[in-house]
Amino acid sequence: MNKDVTYVVLADDDEDDRLFFTEAFDELKITTQVETYEDGVALMKALNCEDASIPNILFLDLNMPKKSGLECLKEIKKSKRFQDMAVAIYSTSASEEDIENTFVNGANIYIKKPSDFNTLKRILSDVVTINWQYHTSGLNRDNFLLRL
Amino acid sequence: MKIFVKFDFTRICNKVIEDTLHSLGIGYTIPSFGEIEIDDKASSESIKQLNERFAHYGIDIIENQKIILVQRLKDAIVDMVFNEESQVNVKSSVYLSEKLGHSYGYLSNLFSEVTYTSIENFIILQKIEYTKSLIAKTDLSLTEIAFKLNYSSVAHLSTQFKNTTGITPTAFQRIIAKRRELANNPTN
Amino acid sequence: MRGLKSIYNSERFLRILFGSALFVVLCMGGLAYKYIRDLSESFILVQHTYEVHIELEKLTTLLKDAESGKRGFIISKDTTFLSPLINNREKLAETLENVKNLTADSPEQNANIAVLQEKIGQSMAIFDQTLAMAKDSLTHTQEFRNAFTRGRFIMNSIRNKVNEMTMHENELLKERREESSESLSNAPLMVYYTLIISLCILLITYAQLSRSLKVLRTKNEQLETFKEATNQSAMISKYGNWIWHVDEETFEFSDNLYRLLGEKPQSFAPTIDNFMEFVHPEDQERFVDQVNQMYLNRDLPYLHYRIIQRDGTLKHFKAYAKLGKDSEGHQRLIGTTTDITDEKENYRILEEKNAELERNNEELASFNYVASHDLQEPLRKIQTFISRLEDKELHQLSDSGKLYIERIKTSASRMRSLIDDLLQYSRTNRSETSMEFTNINELIEAAKHDLAEVIEEKHATVKVESIPEMKVIPFQIKQLFLNLISNSIKYSKEDEAPIINICYSKTKSSQMPWLKSVKYKSYHTIAISDNGIGFEPSYAEKIFVLFNRLHSKGTYSGTGIGLSICKKIMNNHNGFIQAEGRPNNGAIFTVYLPVH
Repeated sequence: MNKDVTYVVLADDDEDDRLFFTEAFDELKITTQVETYEDGVALMKALNCEDASIPNILFLDLNMPKKSGLECLKEIKKSKRFQDMAVAIYSTSASEEDIENTFVNGANIYIKKPSDFNTLKRILSDVVTINWQYHTSGLNRDNFLLRL
Repeated sequence: MKIFVKFDFTRICNKVIEDTLHSLGIGYTIPSFGEIEIDDKASSESIKQLNERFAHYGIDIIENQKIILVQRLKDAIVDMVFNEESQVNVKSSVYLSEKLGHSYGYLSNLFSEVTYTSIENFIILQKIEYTKSLIAKTDLSLTEIAFKLNYSSVAHLSTQFKNTTGITPTAFQRIIAKRRELANNPTN
Repeated sequence: MRGLKSIYNSERFLRILFGSALFVVLCMGGLAYKYIRDLSESFILVQHTYEVHIELEKLTTLLKDAESGKRGFIISKDTTFLSPLINNREKLAETLENVKNLTADSPEQNANIAVLQEKIGQSMAIFDQTLAMAKDSLTHTQEFRNAFTRGRFIMNSIRNKVNEMTMHENELLKERREESSESLSNAPLMVYYTLIISLCILLITYAQLSRSLKVLRTKNEQLETFKEATNQSAMISKYGNWIWHVDEETFEFSDNLYRLLGEKPQSFAPTIDNFMEFVHPEDQERFVDQVNQMYLNRDLPYLHYRIIQRDGTLKHFKAYAKLGKDSEGHQRLIGTTTDITDEKENYRILEEKNAELERNNEELASFNYVASHDLQEPLRKIQTFISRLEDKELHQLSDSGKLYIERIKTSASRMRSLIDDLLQYSRTNRSETSMEFTNINELIEAAKHDLAEVIEEKHATVKVESIPEMKVIPFQIKQLFLNLISNSIKYSKEDEAPIINICYSKTKSSQMPWLKSVKYKSYHTIAISDNGIGFEPSYAEKIFVLFNRLHSKGTYSGTGIGLSICKKIMNNHNGFIQAEGRPNNGAIFTVYLPVH
């Protein structure tokens, strides 16, 4: 596995959104490996697998059946295993309260799902680039807050 | 049964590198840590093999001088932003080209090619990063931080902060404070 | 109460007055008694003096008779002249004895009488001597002459003595008269004075009494009115009173209490047992329990129970009582029983309405959610798929196909802004976020930042004065400026770059005549003025109404929600927003925020 490949995971119950997401990464020049799950339970099961590699960035939809994005976030933040993983919230709603609440609970990035594919591509590219900056330039991950 | 061990990372790394090169029959010398001189005779095939073997140990071959230069450039920028002594009044472009001995145009292109971002953006990123750490760790007001980081006004800093992070400095301050509160009262 | 107090005061005053009057009359009686006694005493004294006078006069007369008898005999030698002499001897002794008795209290007169008695004795002796000589016709002898002269001499001294005694007695009389007349002349004056004083006291008493009576009468009238009013209010607000006389263990029910039970006033004896007949069977046990507690503790905290009237109507009652004392110190528990049937009913209706409101709110909240999430999601996907279609397949479409795609895009984005704005409008609630002191200039900067793109595109200038910190809901005030600035830019003139001025001042409520009710003394006033296309002054109110637009969709994009949001935000802050405009001459939006 090449170290330059960014490992990205998305949990979203919406099939179309998963499609947009993977297509956007396919069209980007950055080398990424994308994996998607359709709910929080499936995601946590895969992540908690002992020998699974830890994603560089985890994208979480807030509104998911079985286990919501916020529940996943809280669970992830409790574990030391995922402390180097960036967590991005990937949601339809963008109320200030929602955003601040997820940040307070440890999310690093908040993305309001755009209604334009090119915007989506730009946003995802930004996220990966900035995350990579954090990864390579030794920035303090505690202060990593980004809203797109 | 548990046993405890201690390591000498330098020796382990050198040993791994030596063994790998040896097994592939490549002639080499190691002038300093993190630097290998290999014989020019080595085929591209054996270099590829070497790359794969190294990857197994988590060792990356830094492809060329460009990447090294970019790394030095980054170090220089971080140093420029975070260390007050090196905060010079000359433009950052002049400062960087003088420090690294290359034209700014060359450095700029090289940087974008390797990192997908511009030097300007990287400088802003670093400055905002410094601002964040000052907000999180000190009691300095935004005005004081703006002055410390050579911003023309608080508004300028706020705008740049918002542009870079998507949130305002005040919101950032609030979120950090709430996170700490949450860490102290984990019941919530 | 003050009137009654004055009555109590005057009562004490009257008591004092009466006491003093009694004292004065008693004194007066004593004095009168003393004067009368003095008067009778002096009368007796005067009589006594006259008696002494008479006796003394008698004495001298007797002596004179004896003398003249003697002389007659001597001249005529007729013995008949001697008869008074013989008779008078006894009478003299008698009279002398009388005088002696009368003057027994005076030592001076006693001495005089002793002298007189001796002289009379001597005179009698000389009488006898001269008579004897005259019988013997020795009248021409020297001896006779001597005796005669001596007799006359003694006679004179007796007369002198009697005169002396009369004088003395007169003096005594005079003295006594003076004494008694002195005290007697003062007596009528004293009586007169006391009479005047008594009269005064009487008058004051009368005045005081009549004043107290007047106060009492007005108090009585007031009490009567108050009673009337109480009766009225008791009927209107459906309550009745009752009194439990603790010592006598008797009850008193007010008329209205009977009415509350659906009975005629005082139609049955006011006892607990009679009352119990009306209490709802389910509440009787508790009622009895509470009444027993009341007997025990002499107190009745709020007691709720139901009663059934004779016609079967159910009523809810609430009773409360407090222990008090009457003017004679008897303990009594004064209670109020209120018919709260209407209250209960109203409360029930209110609760139902509340529940309904809560349900409505929940529905609204879920509508909110549907709008925010479920409606946005398919729309977003439509838009994303269109953008995919545009990127990948546009070149394969015919010109009309391209036009349709363009139209779908426009409609979709309009729907997006409508949903976003509606959401913004429904999220603009007071309860969600709290007020905090905020730098308004920072909020305006943030709003400007959000609008940076359009500001740059239209070459707009936004000038902001320094504005003090205010207590606001930061998100909302930022939204307010965002809406107002974007509004100004949106309705700018085509050939002129928009210039927006944001000015601050402070206005006193008195300078805002259109203010309906004054809750705050002064208001922060922020005016946002522009050089845009303005509007007809008659639309100044209308533009804040939800979905109201002054321009057709083609000319200016907009959902007609932005200014309604501004108005709602100002409502949340107890503030106001006003618009002023002239066609083609710019608009001024003025925001008033209360100074806390």
